[in-house]
Amino acid sequence: MSLEGALVVAAALVGLGLWGALSQQSIVMVLMGVELMVNGVILAAAALWAFAAAGAPEGQLLVVMAMAVMAVELAVGFAVVVALYRCRQVDMTDGLESLRN
Amino acid sequence: MTRVLAVGPLVVAGAYAAAVARLAAASAAAGHGLRGLAAEPLRRAALALVQQRLATERPDAASRALAPAVVAALAAVGLALVPLSRGWVVVDAGAGIVVWGSLEALAIAAVYLHGWSANSLQPLVAAYRFTAAGLTLLLLSMFVLIGVALPAQSLRLADVVDAQAGLWNVLRQPLGLPLFLVVALGITSWPPLDLAGGADLAGGTAAEASGPGRLAWTAARAALLAAFAAMGAAAFLGGWHGPWLPGPAWMAVKTAALLAVLAAAGVRLAGLRAEALVARGWTVLLPLAFADLAMAGLVAQL
Amino acid sequence: MTPDQAPAWADVGFWVFALAAVATGYRVFRTDSMVRSAFLLLASFLNVGAVVLLLGGRYLGVALVFMMTVEMTVMAIFMVAFMMNPAGLNPMSMVHQPRLAVVAGAGAFGGGVLLALLGEFPDRPRRAGADVIAALGSQLLGRSMLVFETVGVTLLAAMVGAVALSSRRSRFGGPADEGSLPPPLEPGGDRYPAGVVPEPAGGHGGHGGHGGHQ
Repeated sequence: MSLEGALVVAAALVGLGLWGALSQQSIVMVLMGVELMVNGVILAAAALWAFAAAGAPEGQLLVVMAMAVMAVELAVGFAVVVALYRCRQVDMTDGLESLRN
Repeated sequence: MTRVLAVGPLVVAGAYAAAVARLAAASAAAGHGLRGLAAEPLRRAALALVQQRLATERPDAASRALAPAVVAALAAVGLALVPLSRGWVVVDAGAGIVVWGSLEALAIAAVYLHGWSANSLQPLVAAYRFTAAGLTLLLLSMFVLIGVALPAQSLRLADVVDAQAGLWNVLRQPLGLPLFLVVALGITSWPPLDLAGGADLAGGTAAEASGPGRLAWTAARAALLAAFAAMGAAAFLGGWHGPWLPGPAWMAVKTAALLAVLAAAGVRLAGLRAEALVARGWTVLLPLAFADLAMAGLVAQL
Repeated sequence: MTPDQAPAWADVGFWVFALAAVATGYRVFRTDSMVRSAFLLLASFLNVGAVVLLLGGRYLGVALVFMMTVEMTVMAIFMVAFMMNPAGLNPMSMVHQPRLAVVAGAGAFGGGVLLALLGEFPDRPRRAGADVIAALGSQLLGRSMLVFETVGVTLLAAMVGAVALSSRRSRFGGPADEGSLPPPLEPGGDRYPAGVVPEPAGGHGGHGGHGGHQ
């Protein structure tokens, strides 16, 4: 359990999330890729808090903020998916060339 | 570490107690006697074990096996969190109340998986309507439990019980316990809030369950109900506090009392439709939970 | 127990959970069943939550588990609603620009590893015995109250926005799916999938329950 180990794992999660977000066609899967990236960020923040920040409460605050970011992104993302489907009957990124209307 | 060994017997005892309570309530409501009830759950379990197993076409087998196991594990964790006596708790979680919240959330996910995994229509519909109500009840339970944490000024369940040495929370926060019991009935899908089951959907998520699978599902939910009753006893009825009897005995008595109340509610109250439960949850129960939290905050300030 | 004096079982547990998080994260995009994909992502989050607990975040780990369970259950519901193959009963491949994605992902991983191994981080481990939960509470409601309230208002804005975006009535008073058509068969063309006839003047073209995904 070391800082370097945790950061390497967090980098792996961010890399996997980026790969998933760029390679998936469906909007919902892209959202999942972004979630995985924020997962990696949370792990990195928690590891830095435990090893490099002497357990300062500001570190915990950063993790709480990342979780709030995830919640907001998911809520608005799903609402956009629903609205886009109602308007355009697509749920693939390839079918969306513009956000007109 | 040896305290962990106590969790297994607690789970089994809890499931058995919940089953007996339900049978007793049904029998009392029908006017029959209470004789022979102690062996009835065991008889039914033995019968279920030898029944023929039926299978659907292309189910999600991993989820199907996982769902009852997850619910049973959650019941075990729930019973491990509750302090049974002064200073005696299996898992002393620093944020016990938040752990309890995640238990409820994971229970909702497990019921959804159970309904999804059968690859059949009625279980899927039951899982969906249960999830809609379950998310509402999750909010309710969080507000009620935060209210309980306020007098204790801590998220540890041992501190919550210690803070009730003078006055039980059921008297300090009268709205808390009824709302918590509603949450218990809803999340374990127990009548009258049996949204994941129920005869209107041919048994709900258990419609395609048979034999040992059905037994596992029912027993796991009964154990989870017992865990909820134990948590209610610890958070609202003063836990192990009480004269004359030792701590664990009082916990058993209070848990049994709550199980009896839940079973009686199941037998005597009519079931609620999903739309009605969700609508009343957001318009009536959630404001009541806010009021409960506001009162708890005001009292804690004084 | 500070993280740098952790007992052996905590070290083993850390690596087990961390590698399980990466493995389940990979399987999210490699499984055919969409519901399983959502719950594999949940498994990844649960493993990261366990790691955070081992690092000493007694509240953070549990809060992560709580939030992610609810989010992933909602995501599973949306998967079933919007994906063409939610149970994975038919094999399918839904990737585009696969090589760019692999290069980008590997680049991000490589960059992160370089930072982790070559970067100089201060060595100030968390003090054992400190009450991290009380410290977080005092911080949130004390010095960082403004941050806390801003996050609250942001969440409220997200809630209002989500409800407004997914409302069944559009901004202009009609139903939200008025005039909605599936995309044409060629981009920019004017031939539509079978049975879809775009009407020139308003009205409901292309209804009849044809989804965009067949």
